[in-house]
Amino acid sequence: MKLISKLTLFITLSKLAIVLLFVITLPYLIGGIARTYNDYYLRQQQEKVLEIIAKNGVDSYLQGEESYGSYTMLKEEYISLEPVEKDFKIDTIYTDERIIEQDTLNYRVLIHSFPVDSGTYLMEVGKTIDTIDQYNRPLQRIATYVLLALILITLIIDLFYTRYLLRPLGEIINTKIRNRKFPFNEDSIPVKTTTTDFQYLDTSLISLMQQIHEAFAKEREFTANASHELMTPIGILQNKIENLMGEPGVSDIIQERLIGMQHTLNRLKRIVHSLLLISRIENEQFSKKDSLDLAELFADLMDEISHRLSEKEIRFEITISERIMLKKINRDLLFQLFYNLVNNAIKYNKPAGSIRIWDEYPSDGGYILNISDTGIGIPEEEIITIFNRFKKVNQAEESAGYGLGLSIVKSIADYHQIKIGIVSEIQKGTTFRVYFPEDLIISGAMD
Amino acid sequence: MKVLLIEDEKTLAYEVEAFLKKAFYVCDMAHTARKGLEMLGVNPYDFVLLDLGLPDLDGLKVLQDAKKLNPEAAYIILTARGNIEDRIVGLDLGADDYLPKPFSLLELQSRMQAISRRKFNINTHEIDLGEFKIDLPKRIVSYSGNEIELTRKEFDLLSYLLLHKNRVLTRMQLSEHIWGSFADDDYDSNYIDVHIKNIRKKLNAFAPIDWLETVRGVGYKIRLK
Repeated sequence: MKLISKLTLFITLSKLAIVLLFVITLPYLIGGIARTYNDYYLRQQQEKVLEIIAKNGVDSYLQGEESYGSYTMLKEEYISLEPVEKDFKIDTIYTDERIIEQDTLNYRVLIHSFPVDSGTYLMEVGKTIDTIDQYNRPLQRIATYVLLALILITLIIDLFYTRYLLRPLGEIINTKIRNRKFPFNEDSIPVKTTTTDFQYLDTSLISLMQQIHEAFAKEREFTANASHELMTPIGILQNKIENLMGEPGVSDIIQERLIGMQHTLNRLKRIVHSLLLISRIENEQFSKKDSLDLAELFADLMDEISHRLSEKEIRFEITISERIMLKKINRDLLFQLFYNLVNNAIKYNKPAGSIRIWDEYPSDGGYILNISDTGIGIPEEEIITIFNRFKKVNQAEESAGYGLGLSIVKSIADYHQIKIGIVSEIQKGTTFRVYFPEDLIISGAMD
Repeated sequence: MKVLLIEDEKTLAYEVEAFLKKAFYVCDMAHTARKGLEMLGVNPYDFVLLDLGLPDLDGLKVLQDAKKLNPEAAYIILTARGNIEDRIVGLDLGADDYLPKPFSLLELQSRMQAISRRKFNINTHEIDLGEFKIDLPKRIVSYSGNEIELTRKEFDLLSYLLLHKNRVLTRMQLSEHIWGSFADDDYDSNYIDVHIKNIRKKLNAFAPIDWLETVRGVGYKIRLK
């Protein structure tokens, strides 16, 4: 899960939990406040009554009667004074039922005993529970609404802010990690952010990529330079041997030795050529602006290769069902790619074997060309390393491959974003599956 | 034919010079671009073999300057750079051919001969090939007026052997001429033998061709006076 999604989820859930907690505790809270306030109110009433009694005497209430009682119209509040035995002491507030004129009502009652000159009196001040709680519901509702509104506002602010805060991270991922192709040839632009963690991450990534790029560039440069430097002495040797072979009076034995030298030198030349070619491809020194007709390419290929097929008596069958045009490719490189694959199919084939080339149209709009041979096959454990440089299938095989043919194929394929899959069975044959992405196919050319 | 070789690698230059002299070219050498341009200003040359990777001046610039000094000469670029771009630019600047290093001297001579035919209209007449006649520009082999049909590769093989007559050419050298960089690396293969067999069969129908010799273990040679 992405960080932003996790944070969004966390923020939303935590706020929801708070709302839930508040909504559950709100009735108790408000009820508690109302009661506490009411008790305070009752005490105030008590003070007032006591003040009046202290000022005017208890008779101002009793008016000659033995006790006093009064209540409001709807019996929400009442007050009563009655004598009790001397030395009776009580001072409490509690909830109790009272019957006033046949009505039984729940009251919060303050009972207080106090002495006056004529004896001890008991004062009761009461207020119905219903009136105490009458504002609780609307209060709760309003409080809930206000809370919900506040939570919603903070939620929106939080989400926007985390989004804003994490945007550089997204940018780093997009510009530095996704959409980047090894070995990171394009320059990296630092992501603008004031968050030091992201700055650190970004600069670290940039410097890592820079290091990879430089190391890779150095390796390629070395290969290119070394190969290039090797070409001159190879050329000198080749020309010296040629001149020597043209000398009159060179005996047959020496002539044969010279040919041997020439073959060895030629082998060296091919290796250096291949390394140079690979490094040029990896250095992206070839343009990819050609378009080509695969059928034509194979016709040209047959021109170069038919003598080898006939020598080994290999049956060659090609069925490319429709005219397929490729674009954004380098014709020479693509020719080399198929040349190497077909050449391998001949080289590792059985005498009088066959080579079959056919195509497929996968559903993603790409195009697959299969090249199957009836050759010796590749052991499963070697398939992953088959494209490595200087890897030769079946080391015992005499035919000299020098293990660079498939490396060249791989470099060319990578350069064009062509994918190559291998299906092989020992002693049965191998199929190379060359997949062209939709991007490389001229649409409409197939109609 | 007068050749100027501008090449800073002296050992290589001496080999090329030795070879060309044997092929009856007159060969001058310059080891720097400046010296080469200086010599071009003084002497007329038919061929200029120019190494693009000279230490003192940019090769393509040298080519431009040299073309101004001597527009008539044929220019062949020799380079170890081998970039396709270099090749295109070189040919655009008026080079007649382009040989990537390392190159075969036999191939160099073959290219020079082709240019001679194209550019200087030399060898336009038919050449004797035993009792046969060969017309290189028209690519025709004939026997007393009868045209003999050879495939492209067969004709290339025959003319290459003829160019280097009285010299043994190995199978490898012949393959490299015919198939270039797509020549097989399997030197025991008999593709060349198959082609030679076909040539012999086609020509033998008219007259014996004992001038086309097989040199055991080495290759083939055309022996002619």
